[in-house]
Amino acid sequence: MPLLFGQIRKGVEMPKQETIRITFSLNGKLVETQVQPVLTLLEMLRRNFSLTATKEGCGKGECGACTLLFNGFPLNSCLKLAATLRPTDSVVTLEGLENDPLMGRLQKAYVDEGAVQCGFCIPGMVISSYHLLKHHPNPSSAQIKEALSGNLCRCTGYSKIEQAVVRAAREK
Amino acid sequence: MENPISIHCPDSLDDAVAILSARPGARILAGGTDLLVKHRNGMLPNLTDFVDISGLRLQEIERESDSIIIGSGCTMTALAQSPLVADRFPCLAQGAIQVGAFQIRNCATIGGNIANGSPAGDTIPAMFCLDAMVRIFGPESRRTIPIAEFFTGPGKTVLRQGEIIESFALPDRRTFGVFFKLGERRAHAISKVSISVSCFESGQGRREFRIALGAVGPTVLRCRKAEELMTAAGWPPPSADLVDKASRLVMDASRPIDDIRSLKDYRKKMTGVLFIRAIDRLNARSYQLNNSGEE
Ligand SMILES: Cc1cc2nc3c(=O)[nH]c(=O)nc-3n(C[C@H](O)[C@H](O)[C@H](O)COP(=O)(O)OP(=O)(O)OC[C@H]3O[C@@H](n4cnc5c(N)ncnc54)[C@H](O)[C@@H]3O)c2cc1C
Ligand code: FES
Ligand code: FES
Repeated sequence: MPLLFGQIRKGVEMPKQETIRITFSLNGKLVETQVQPVLTLLEMLRRNFSLTATKEGCGKGECGACTLLFNGFPLNSCLKLAATLRPTDSVVTLEGLENDPLMGRLQKAYVDEGAVQCGFCIPGMVISSYHLLKHHPNPSSAQIKEALSGNLCRCTGYSKIEQAVVRAAREK
Repeated sequence: MENPISIHCPDSLDDAVAILSARPGARILAGGTDLLVKHRNGMLPNLTDFVDISGLRLQEIERESDSIIIGSGCTMTALAQSPLVADRFPCLAQGAIQVGAFQIRNCATIGGNIANGSPAGDTIPAMFCLDAMVRIFGPESRRTIPIAEFFTGPGKTVLRQGEIIESFALPDRRTFGVFFKLGERRAHAISKVSISVSCFESGQGRREFRIALGAVGPTVLRCRKAEELMTAAGWPPPSADLVDKASRLVMDASRPIDDIRSLKDYRKKMTGVLFIRAIDRLNARSYQLNNSGEE
């Protein structure tokens, strides 16, 4: 794995700190990179790996725009330090689910239901929706609301998002 | 530019304690859902090192003679999903499931919730009700402290630099219990008022009660007078009058303040209301048959 550190911010001076070498599984492949001590998992994915589906909304655990799957569970990547990753840890971002049939169905349902407006919350929304449908293929309305309660959306008013999850569950 | 912050990921308690003792500006990092938010908000000016304790294998829930041992690294999700916790300690399972939202619960640990020492921490009232003992590993030795003596003020505990909460020991007995919280919304809401009510069978028609309140005092508070009244009255409670009387003792035990989340008078009233709701819930037959709690 070539080091991509600094690629995105070419020419920008990064504060000089000791860096730490980490190894972990990213979207199914074992990767290695070099990180500063307080770099978040979110920032690392965007800077070191150019994986920009995962977004930063609040940076404080409130909005869920940075949701990804960590060891199989949805997690706010803005509240995880990259330096704490271990070789046994697995990180799956939206990019890693590009060819996943369930994710494909969810994305189509979101578009068909008009559940996407500005789109900023959507990568996190679909990851949470994906985890829900993986474990509860026919969720109740309450289960959908509960599963998405950590994902905020400023645009849609949520009901179309809920309908999109229902639709994706129906259209197997 | 300030000094860069370092991070350490030790894989033994001894190593972790050695780093913490050598570096006075070092802070323990568990799930990070409190600490990293504080860091981000610039509230940790003296921080020099993070000591990540996720590699210390503190995530077990297991039986040990007369106790259930809950590792400090257990996440809220792990607590909420543990059959042992659901069976023995329903109030704790209900507290854990009401923390934040799914993403937060997958990372927030019980050790972090307790060590953070917020009077609004949603697992703390249950831990008071369950007579939890805090097991601490320190530079010199281990020590064990009853949860009721662990907190000294808002955000303040008896923990000394270098000490790590290893686990919690809870008496292994089947309890009946509930945890209710009032927040601005269901998810991601810091409690304005919370209550845990728990009891266990101590004889024929008798139950011993524990009642603890969150967010209405400098620390979580136990309502000992109300507990005594409920315990002495026998189970099920002989009259609505008695429960009413107990609810007034609960209100008397609260010491709320006005702040950005709520008002003193409202908080005090709601401790009594939530207490009556909790007794109703415990008294409902359906609940006794299925003591799992869906709140
Ligand atoms: C969006 C959001 C919503 C939230 N909602 C709730 C809620 O509804 N209810 C609630 O109660 N809390 C809530 N919280 C707060 C937080 O998630 C919990 O308090 C959580 O349990 C903290 O655990 P942690 O593992 O993340 O702790 P960390 O942030 O890692 O640590 C918290 C503190 O405890 C210390 N510490 C951690 N582990 C140990 C240990 N084993 N020994 C000694 N010291 C230790 C740390 O040094 C730090 O000072 C929320 C937080 C966020 C960001
Ligand atoms: S950016 Fe992580 S929760 Fe908002
Ligand atoms: S579509 Fe704009 S924030 Fe959700």
